Amino acid sequence: MADAPAKTARAEWGTRFGFLMAMIGAMVGAGNIWRFPYVMGDNGGGAFVLAFLVLLFLLAVPGLMAEVALGRYTNKGVIGAFRDVLGPGGMVGLGVIVLLVNIALMSYYSPLIGWTLYYAVHSLLFTFTASGFEAGAFMDTFFANSALMIGLHTIVMGSIAAILILGIRRGVERLVVYAVPALVIALVVMTIRGLTLPGASEGITFMFSVDWGALAASETWIAALGQALFSTGLGWGIALTVGSYLREYDDVPLGGGVFTALGESSIGILAALAIFPIVFAVGVEPDAGAGLAFVSLVQVFPEIPLGGLVAILFFVGFFLATFTSGLLITEVSVTTVSEETRLDRTQTVLAVCGGIWLLGIPSAYSADILDFLDFVFGNWGLPLATLAIIGVIGWVLGPKRLRMLAVNRNAGIYVGKWWDPVIKYVIPAVMLFIMGYFAWENFREPEMIAGMFVLVLFPIIGYAIMSVVEGRGEKPGTTEVTGGDD
Amino acid sequence: MPLPAEVLGMLAFTLLAFWGIALWALTRTLRQESRKVEILKHQDRMDTYSPRALADLREWIENNPDDPLADRARERYNECVDVLTQTDRHFYDWSDAEIERLERL
Repeated sequence: MADAPAKTARAEWGTRFGFLMAMIGAMVGAGNIWRFPYVMGDNGGGAFVLAFLVLLFLLAVPGLMAEVALGRYTNKGVIGAFRDVLGPGGMVGLGVIVLLVNIALMSYYSPLIGWTLYYAVHSLLFTFTASGFEAGAFMDTFFANSALMIGLHTIVMGSIAAILILGIRRGVERLVVYAVPALVIALVVMTIRGLTLPGASEGITFMFSVDWGALAASETWIAALGQALFSTGLGWGIALTVGSYLREYDDVPLGGGVFTALGESSIGILAALAIFPIVFAVGVEPDAGAGLAFVSLVQVFPEIPLGGLVAILFFVGFFLATFTSGLLITEVSVTTVSEETRLDRTQTVLAVCGGIWLLGIPSAYSADILDFLDFVFGNWGLPLATLAIIGVIGWVLGPKRLRMLAVNRNAGIYVGKWWDPVIKYVIPAVMLFIMGYFAWENFREPEMIAGMFVLVLFPIIGYAIMSVVEGRGEKPGTTEVTGGDD
Repeated sequence: MPLPAEVLGMLAFTLLAFWGIALWALTRTLRQESRKVEILKHQDRMDTYSPRALADLREWIENNPDDPLADRARERYNECVDVLTQTDRHFYDWSDAEIERLERL
């Protein structure tokens, strides 16, 4: 690997809009559509919004700025970026943790994209508004058909591979600049339809009535914390990878931090406005997760005028939201593996997508396996990846150094000293708290035990792999930075 | 059912706080991009730090001369100073007096 032939010049985003839509496309996923509206309504409505907004500005905005800035500063994928900061050696394995978590995440996210694809196709066929249609039975039959699930998983990974092979500008950017606005337009049209239905105001009241007492409840803050961290994709390596393709004079904090965090959350708010007025207008019980998207809402469409068209808007939008996330999650591995091996981009895409496809078969075969992996990686794998990225920035590179050299360079807004302690202390402490909280809440459960395996094994695997790989020869062009900056 | 004033207020606040800020950030960053493109059509380089950010960078370099990244920081500082003194169009709000006071490190 050390003497790999030089590859062609690194790709860049063609436009500023392309970069911004890539960030939003990556971060807006299933959680914004099927989780956020319910969590909001169920945790004090307006009180939850306030808690969420505070945590967004306190954690997600500064964290995303840091992650994008690291990618931009190093112009490398996760492992290369870690090597630039840590110097060659086993500790670069922290980057391997991020890579493994992304591959694991995508292995069960791809079958989920397959679900949205299946429902999007059926919405186009007007299945949900056909006479005699039963939403529950339709979903049960679909989930019981393992061959169909695996087939959809295959189509999703094949499509992602086909787009990624085209590259950053001709593949990813060309798709997201249309897909993200299309998702927003679909939700806006659905919102207008929903708000003009009789009884829609009950849905608005459910979401936006303010239970001030909820602000004193720890559950509200835990729910807001989970939403602020997991929904924005902070520390998963996506923002780092997307940031590594920024151009010379591009800004980091305004686009990569403020716009990404607020824009991504705004789509969650819009999804809430699109979904709940309709759900309440028809008198269906609000729900979260697959129950909301694939049962409650599907029951609603036949009941409302133009329901067939609303179903198309919703499911095609939902598919675009999950598909663009899957695309960028996979790009994290493609960028890194391509940089770390002799494989060209096409070979890398085929290897990565093939590997994810193989690993995703159990999740495609059984929704229970998917749920199990989602719980384990959502509660422990992703926080571990965040801890690796923010930990390296906060405690090795140093937030002040990064702020001087990358965050405030070509920046659209000035980032002051307040940012340094947030990156160094607050975000790592919050991630440790989250992992500890979920371990305590699920003590001795199989998911908790699996989560502990992830927490212990992934760092060991990462360290072992990079100790062997880095031992073969030093990578050129690396800068070892030690000790943090304050 | 008419919506209570509290619900309407919260809805308005939420839309303003999320969509308002997101659209402000989007508009601002796209306008800045247009301005950068315009400047780069006129000259091949552009100032990279605002006055406040460049002052921070200088202070950090002076306080940490032996830092492993001090050379890189110095390069970036000098690059910005050179561009400011050699070009006539600037992205950030630099006054002539501020530029005159700048010195390479």
